[in-house]
Amino acid sequence: MTEVIEAETMLDAMGAVLTRWTMGSAAAPAASFWRAELGDDPTEAELRLLALSGQFLGAAVTMEPGATLRVLPDVPALTLPTLPEPLRPLARRILAAKKQAQSGTELVHFLAARGWTMHPADWMPAAADDDAPDVYATWRDWAAIAAADGAARRQTNDRLTADNWEDFWPAARKAALAGLRRDDPSAARGVLEARLAGETADTRLRLLSLLSERLSDDDVTFLEGIAANDRAPKVKALATSLLGRLGHGPASGEDIAELAGFFSVRTKGLLRRSRVVQAEPPKTPAQWQRRKALFEGADLAAFSGALGLAPQELIAAWDWNVDHAADMALINVIVSSGTDAHVTQAADAISQGDATGLIAALAPRLSPAERARHAETALHSHGISFELAQQVAGPAARLDDPLSAPAGKTLLAALQRDDAKPSDQFAELHALGLIASRDGAQRSLQRLTGAGLLQGDPRLDMLRLNAALDDNGANP
Amino acid sequence: MAIDLKAVEQLATDQSSLKAAAGLAKPGKWSGVGASGDGALIWGECAGSGANPYRVMADLRDLGNKCTCPSRKFPCKHVLGLLWLNAEQVLPFPPADTPAWVSDWLGRRRGTPAAKPANNAPQGGEKDLRAARAGGPDVAEDPKDVARREAQAAKRTEETERAILDALDALEQWIGDQLRMGLAGFIDDATARCRRIAARLVDGKAAVLAGRIDELPSRLLALPAGDRPRGAVVELGKLVLLARAFRAAPRDAETRRAVAASETRETVLADPRAPRVDAHWEVLAEQVQTRRDGLVSQTAWLLNLSAAGPRFAMLLDFFPASAGRRGSVFTPGERFHGELVFYPSQQPLRALLVRRDAGGELPPSEWPLADATISDALTRPLLAEPWAIEIPLLLPQGRIARDDAGHNWWRSTDGMATLPIASEVSSLLCGTDLTRTAAIWSGNRLAILAAQTPWGRIGGHD
Repeated sequence: MTEVIEAETMLDAMGAVLTRWTMGSAAAPAASFWRAELGDDPTEAELRLLALSGQFLGAAVTMEPGATLRVLPDVPALTLPTLPEPLRPLARRILAAKKQAQSGTELVHFLAARGWTMHPADWMPAAADDDAPDVYATWRDWAAIAAADGAARRQTNDRLTADNWEDFWPAARKAALAGLRRDDPSAARGVLEARLAGETADTRLRLLSLLSERLSDDDVTFLEGIAANDRAPKVKALATSLLGRLGHGPASGEDIAELAGFFSVRTKGLLRRSRVVQAEPPKTPAQWQRRKALFEGADLAAFSGALGLAPQELIAAWDWNVDHAADMALINVIVSSGTDAHVTQAADAISQGDATGLIAALAPRLSPAERARHAETALHSHGISFELAQQVAGPAARLDDPLSAPAGKTLLAALQRDDAKPSDQFAELHALGLIASRDGAQRSLQRLTGAGLLQGDPRLDMLRLNAALDDNGANP
Repeated sequence: MAIDLKAVEQLATDQSSLKAAAGLAKPGKWSGVGASGDGALIWGECAGSGANPYRVMADLRDLGNKCTCPSRKFPCKHVLGLLWLNAEQVLPFPPADTPAWVSDWLGRRRGTPAAKPANNAPQGGEKDLRAARAGGPDVAEDPKDVARREAQAAKRTEETERAILDALDALEQWIGDQLRMGLAGFIDDATARCRRIAARLVDGKAAVLAGRIDELPSRLLALPAGDRPRGAVVELGKLVLLARAFRAAPRDAETRRAVAASETRETVLADPRAPRVDAHWEVLAEQVQTRRDGLVSQTAWLLNLSAAGPRFAMLLDFFPASAGRRGSVFTPGERFHGELVFYPSQQPLRALLVRRDAGGELPPSEWPLADATISDALTRPLLAEPWAIEIPLLLPQGRIARDDAGHNWWRSTDGMATLPIASEVSSLLCGTDLTRTAAIWSGNRLAILAAQTPWGRIGGHD
């Protein structure tokens, strides 16, 4: 008997041996080819067979896949380089610490603004991670492919058209559409006109929001069609709000007139008489609720019209910082239905007043340069914290000397207090690391360690990463 | 920033800590000593009784400190030793970048007020540095006492051996019972049944074997239900082989290590047959597991990047789970030059770290070539140690593939070998070529430790 036949014989017998032992009966009779090795004592024979079978099954029998195996495509390279190797541990630690705080993806946005991406072994977005910067779109699609049963779609880098829409995976498609909108707004709208109806409500909402970039009167007809006919109220509301930004809001109705009734337009000054819009304080909680509800459905043009003013006159005449709820409600109206010029005007008006907290709400509609400018102004003039400044500034701030602002002095004083704990001021130091330019981060590090912080203090991780990271990004 | 010996004296919980620290305040015990640029943090690695040196760190501003040793005393002798080195300037503490393990510790200190020296130390009587420095009395021993002690030791060894052999008889009988009662029932009730025989083995001084049997149910339950009868036969079959090997050669160090107890660090270091390997090493992974017997096992897998010597080294430490979370000794991916001493064995694998050279990380270099053939790599170690549970191996170029049920498989590029993977793997591992893969083969499954890829080195569970 050759060795090959022996192995096959053994393998055949193992089925019977395993079955007998599983049921609790003696298995030695099923392995007659080992009779000599097993001996005559039945108890001993079972133990010897166990040793031999165990060794045979453990060493010679390996599992085989039952069905065809599927190999996932390669994780694609991104258009931006991954972090330099020496900085990866620092980024991992920051990400781990932020995970504990259940915070968002500030770090990946910061890196993308600086021209870098995370290494995929350290962080990869999930398919549904809409907050991830567009540069990660191909990784999101890769995650979708990994989770799907089969990869039916073709991977393509062509310019997006209505015809090749299905060739793109969702995240890459959204990124391609955003790029197309920046380069050729009417082509992007054309693609949406052809394809939007076939998508789910959530996807329609996300794709339609891309029209806010380079929004123009050319988009009105398309948006009016959506506002009138779309099946999802959220999508309709977005189309209406985009129309509002173009001055095509709904005509003034009873609700707007009722809302205007909560405010009065007065004149002030003796020589240079100017108008001021003042809130009439609601008298009951029910009235407060009613005013809030009316604001939620309001449109800037209609509201200002009901007060007898143009939108820019309303923003200029608003009596900021008296009724905070009204301030916030107006800001929300401006964000949803104001033009870019109204948003900029409102941000400037807020900056001059002392209601800087409201800029954070306006910030997503401001350009990166405007965001940084307002953050810096608010830091120096209004003494806001680094955390709030970071919310205002977004991921592309690059402030050169944030520590000289009042928030810096407050931070240094808090760190040097006798009862300061090693955990204190973590969020402020992290935010400082996010808003500083590279030079600003290096200078801040010097001042903080000079003031007694350990060079190895983990609270300085974000500043250290910033200080060590080349700036490959476009300046805002 | 500097401290004085008075502070060390105050910080010690008792005189014996101070005495032990005095023994450690010697340059030969320490490696990788350093301080932050501002001098506020100091750290070092101290050779202890375990496989790995302990990582010791202190913040001189408030004398907060941490050591990776399992001691329940706080601060432990290693911390006191480090502070002593610093206070007396026995060693230079060169300024350096804070190592990741020190930064991690600082990060974890958040939220807890810094430990104040002396105030919270129990007052265990007067402590005195001079007394700690003084050596014990040097008394010449009576030859009769030596002979009597040796005779007692021999008698104890014989009694232990007898107890182990009796316990192994009980084990074989127990295995026979499991077969007679049916493996289906054994698989359903494995935890309770294994616990009973493990307790008997502990009584019979076969503690290592008892630990192994205690862990058997969890290894079995990790297999898919259909594969458990095969897994049970393999596990129980290996126990029979180990029991027989011990009976054949009760004094053999290798089988004794698998059944009763491992040699002490000192015994291995003093053993001329223990291979010493001076090489470049890469830390593949660290596995920490809390066992049913209340111990935590901490296993560091190292890859030998040099041409000579065993390909893998396994540094294994145990400490009681009640001692709390213990810091990592190695960072996966780090490389160092150092000397390891392997426990004497036909297939040297378990080792102790004797020396680790300072000088930072080594430049990147390729991993060695994969094992000659996969089937040989899977079975060769079993010829020398047929009861081995874990076999480390280096696989050639391959790729992770997935079957319809969502299970992962490693498949060689030439398509000649396909091996099932035990656990989840990181996303990236599934989406790239694996030019080399270091893995553990156990229970007919692969656990990936790390892989070399076009994206660089990736850990198995990043």
